[in-house]
Amino acid sequence: MTTFEDLKSQWENQPQENTPNNGSELIVKKINRIKRKQRITTIVLLITTAILISFFFYIEAYKYRLVSFGLLLMISSLGVRIFIEYISLKKLKQINRTTNAAVFNKNMTDYYKKRMKTHYVSTPIIILLYSVGFIILLPSFKKSLSAGFYNYIICSALIILIIMVFYIRKQIKEELLVLKRISS
Amino acid sequence: MKSLTSQFKSVYDLNYPKVIRLCLGYTNGKMSLSKDLAQETFIKVWQNLDSFRNESSISTWIYRITVNTCLIELRKKKDVRLSNHLNHLDVSSPDFFDDKEVQLKKLYLCISKLKTENKSIILLELEGLPQKEIAEVMGLSHDVIRVRIHRIKNELTKCVKK
Repeated sequence: MTTFEDLKSQWENQPQENTPNNGSELIVKKINRIKRKQRITTIVLLITTAILISFFFYIEAYKYRLVSFGLLLMISSLGVRIFIEYISLKKLKQINRTTNAAVFNKNMTDYYKKRMKTHYVSTPIIILLYSVGFIILLPSFKKSLSAGFYNYIICSALIILIIMVFYIRKQIKEELLVLKRISS
Repeated sequence: MKSLTSQFKSVYDLNYPKVIRLCLGYTNGKMSLSKDLAQETFIKVWQNLDSFRNESSISTWIYRITVNTCLIELRKKKDVRLSNHLNHLDVSSPDFFDDKEVQLKKLYLCISKLKTENKSIILLELEGLPQKEIAEVMGLSHDVIRVRIHRIKNELTKCVKK
């Protein structure tokens, strides 16, 4: 006859995993590695933005209004998307894990609901603006590039768009699943 | 900084076995995954250690972080199957056949069948945490926890007997 006390004793007497000797040092090292990685990512992003801006001025793109408008639309929509992801990731990391499970669950559900709003509202607008920016650039591409290269740009842009849509769709599906599991 | 590091070391050394055992309960006995979860838990412990206010005991506080970390990390992953090591027990040679291990496997299997919240509650009960502290970790009232534990105990015992 198995009672709960038997189960409890089974649980307590299961083989024990030894505490790693330098486990706490490894955790601190890992945290420092993560911090360093975050710092490097920020620096790389800042340098990339600076290069893009200087390139914009270097080629005097601002003299061609339509081209600069198209470029700005593309760059800013990408920038906004990256910014949203950055803020969202920061908020996820800030969710307090020291609260009780009920509050934590509620906070996580709220977070993922907001993510869904981003996916269903902001993302389509961003993709649309990005595409409009690209379409605005097409006439000047046609004028200044060979037919072959022009076709190549159109094809690659379409492929990138399809990959992007698939990737975002996959991400939405995964996050919806997390939301479903949290709410259940 | 140095005192925080030494405080963390003692917290880590004292609580690691409890954390890993709790994580094993969530991962159906999968050791590698449990180690990852324990590591993630202690990263959060380190990041929040200076904000620990002694309002609850440190182990209750760590259990809270462990429960939240295991739940959210596992929800991101696909369903966790019973550990391969445990699965092999059914078909292993008689030398290897150990009744205690088979029983443990059955216990893991039955825990995995519980609803998420019930799983957390019973794992904490198996860890010997007082009901008042389980209520604190889960954010539920003591009465609710008392009733729930009674129900889950029956459910679990019935499942293991099958």
